[in-house]
Amino acid sequence: MKRKKQNKVDPHIRSLTKIVGESEILYKPEDLISYDCDGFTVHKALPKAVVFPKNTEEVAALVQYCHMNHLPFLARGAGTGLSGGAIPLNEEIIISLVKMKQLLCVDYENRQAVVQPGYVNLKLTNSISDKGYYYAPDPSSQYVCTIGGNVAENAGGAHCLKYGVTTNHILGLEVVLPHGEVIEIGGEGAPDSPGYDLMGLLTGSEGTLGIVTKITVRILKSPQGKKTVLAYFDDVEEGSRAVSDIIAAGIVPAALEMMDKTAIEGVEAGTFPVGHPPDIEAFLLIEVDGIMAGLEEQIEQILEVCESWNVREVKVAKSEEERSRWWANRKTGFGAMGAISPDYLVQDGVIPRSRLPEVLKEIEKISRESGLRIANIFHAGDGNLHPLILFDSRVPGETEKALQAGTACLKACADVGGSITGEHGVGIEKKEEMRFIFTEEEIEAQLDIRDVFNPYDLLNQGKLFPKPSRCMDVKKIVKDTVAVQS
Amino acid sequence: MLKELMKKKDASLPCEENTLSNYFAKDHPDEAKWADCVHCGMCLEACPTYLETGQEQHSPRGRVHLIKSVAEGKLNVNEAFADPVFQCLDCRACTTACPADVDVGGLIEEARGQVRQAMPLRGWKGAAGSFFLKRLFPHPNRMQTVSGLLKLYQQSGLQKVMRRSGAMKVMPDHLAGMEAIMPEMKASVQKTYKNVDLIPAKGAVKARVAMLTGCIMDVMFGDINESTIHVLTYNGNEVTLPKQQTCCGALHVHAGDRDTGRKLAKQNIEAFEDAGKVIVNAAGCGCALKEYPELFKDDPEWRDRAEKFAAKVEDVSKYLCDTGYVKPESRIHKSITYHDACHLAHGQGVRHEPRQMLQDIPGVEYKEMKNADTCCGSAGIYNLTNPEMAGAVLDRKMADVPEDVEMISMGNPGCMLQMAMGVQKYGRRSEIVHTIQLLDWAYQKDEQAAGKKG
Repeated sequence: MKRKKQNKVDPHIRSLTKIVGESEILYKPEDLISYDCDGFTVHKALPKAVVFPKNTEEVAALVQYCHMNHLPFLARGAGTGLSGGAIPLNEEIIISLVKMKQLLCVDYENRQAVVQPGYVNLKLTNSISDKGYYYAPDPSSQYVCTIGGNVAENAGGAHCLKYGVTTNHILGLEVVLPHGEVIEIGGEGAPDSPGYDLMGLLTGSEGTLGIVTKITVRILKSPQGKKTVLAYFDDVEEGSRAVSDIIAAGIVPAALEMMDKTAIEGVEAGTFPVGHPPDIEAFLLIEVDGIMAGLEEQIEQILEVCESWNVREVKVAKSEEERSRWWANRKTGFGAMGAISPDYLVQDGVIPRSRLPEVLKEIEKISRESGLRIANIFHAGDGNLHPLILFDSRVPGETEKALQAGTACLKACADVGGSITGEHGVGIEKKEEMRFIFTEEEIEAQLDIRDVFNPYDLLNQGKLFPKPSRCMDVKKIVKDTVAVQS
Repeated sequence: MLKELMKKKDASLPCEENTLSNYFAKDHPDEAKWADCVHCGMCLEACPTYLETGQEQHSPRGRVHLIKSVAEGKLNVNEAFADPVFQCLDCRACTTACPADVDVGGLIEEARGQVRQAMPLRGWKGAAGSFFLKRLFPHPNRMQTVSGLLKLYQQSGLQKVMRRSGAMKVMPDHLAGMEAIMPEMKASVQKTYKNVDLIPAKGAVKARVAMLTGCIMDVMFGDINESTIHVLTYNGNEVTLPKQQTCCGALHVHAGDRDTGRKLAKQNIEAFEDAGKVIVNAAGCGCALKEYPELFKDDPEWRDRAEKFAAKVEDVSKYLCDTGYVKPESRIHKSITYHDACHLAHGQGVRHEPRQMLQDIPGVEYKEMKNADTCCGSAGIYNLTNPEMAGAVLDRKMADVPEDVEMISMGNPGCMLQMAMGVQKYGRRSEIVHTIQLLDWAYQKDEQAAGKKG
């Protein structure tokens, strides 16, 4: 359906349209509503425009234009981020990279692949699995999230316990810097390159240092065998003690996941139920992989540990189909919360594994005190907790309560020597909580690094770091995460 | 600018007490449906229009977000809203992908109802729509006599395509011969069995079922209806074709004309009141019948009747698999792939049954199609209303169809026309067939063989 042309188009919009073409820009307010948030829905604001470049040159031209004209801008992938990294806070120009979605090349000999940033994570594995290869980082959103977004957030996933997070799989990047210059870093499979580890710095910088336009990733040979086990516990604490003991026993499972009762209620009400017993308190989803010989032994060792912690029932996946069903059940866990609650807020704390039981108790206390249900889905193996705070934004005051409960959860993690994010990033959501783990000076030092790349703070402004007391005149702390639009 | 939009509600929209902000009170989208969506985005890659455009407002979660935004008073029911809502293919792939089982299809249909209340179609589009949807489809007798649809069919080049893809080669000899001299329009079973109240079962009677003959199905694909009757009776089912039945109303509901949808629904509910089972061979119709209760949210009496009716509706492949069917002995030597009609796979959860039926036919070399449950772009009359998008979706589909198959089988007339276009467009040789036809042809060969022996 064609709409009447507006006569007065903002001159910036006209210039941006020249770069990408008329069909590749959205700027009418009604068209922008769908871009007012990403997977973090607590904060919503409209961008000035959304542009869809098709190649690096267009990205560079867009960035140059924004730089020259002092327009704030940010990059967006599939918009599945959970910390609000792609939400415009300052009427940004959103540079959506979803149209740059090619798999540029696969080099099996050197075990690497080159992708554009909009390429979907799981598609890479799907395109190379027939040759016996796969891409290891597997965030739960891997069905839809983009590798560019994964680089920005340094995404993790269930199998990162054994294989490491995104940064361990990036070999090279093409980056458009905030003033529009295109640089390439890394690229060759050298174990270490001279000079500073810029790739490490860029990966996980949450889109504040540059826009990645090409990514060289490591691909791995698919493991010869996999064994997957579900272990049901009548007591959360016993389940978490089993987690600690499995790792302490020197076993490195490919994945070691845990879900508690409320989380199980969610996934069983969702689209991919497994038929977990309704009265259990928690389950562990454990996977070991590698050379066939020895897997059996590892599983036995794991089962022994589970038994020592009074496991009620243990199931080993009998087929690949059963295994995929268990994983679909786990990986759609966040979205499935929709089946039992209108809204949820997911936190992303990290703690030393041995402190699991006490932190879980603390979270339970936070739930009781806030009157909000909290479901726990987590990468237990690496101590990465995901408390899911269930709330209803239509009830006045409940969003604020949920945010406070989230903060309290992160405080609990920080207090036992943990961290406030394991894989979802800081974004808008956790910037104030950065103070739980960094001093003012440490934050200042990091902002100095940002200034080297992004001196005018035009790229993804207002993310990652709390509004600091860096200049005396901006000393007010803006609690914008609580300023929910209604 | 948007802030103004947010504050100022369109004065032309009625704002009664029980309205959901900028929606009309009548038949507004169901809040409980969008409350399930937590905006996780797991639906994105399942959505054909998102894959094509890359734009959020053309994705399932984007559309749900817009539908919610109208209720929150941030957006009006205007063209900016209508565009994404009508670009949706209503293919339901998002519902399959959604972790929380959000009924996006239902929301879209409700939203379309709102759009048509706010912006009734005028001009030639309105006239054409009302001609087909109100004056033609609901009237079986007109469907058989009026040539309007046929002309469209011929002018669009579809007829040529279907002729080329004619599935005569595997038919038993006598049928193939008949086919050669038969006019393009197949005999409607409603006409054939005009004076028959009950089509008897072959052998021992297992059950009595009623069959929806459909509007387009019976006029353009009368032979498929005949095949369905044959397969049902061959397996011990007595078949009735209630005379009062009418068009299922799916196209009306898809187009936002819920009032006509309700009228047709009531007529069908009454027509099938005495039936124990309602057997359907068109995925789109079956899905629509099962969703009749959605149309009567504010009418408890009819809602109750609609629920009872919906519980009786079954796709023919599912019915046969559940109640058991004779495995044919004659061989059909063909390589065949299967395309999941959206309203079978995503709409009714029927995936395994048709595949099972195909693989039970001796001689069939079955090949699974990549992304078999991705929409072909037919989507009711979407290929007529949104030809560009439908074409792009079809291109994507054809890339996944194995090139070397002799037949592409499916369970929906709309898909059959669209896939036939695809086959022609790409110069393929595959024939387009309804799954039930293959089983029928195998049975007929069995009967022929038995006749020769006897």
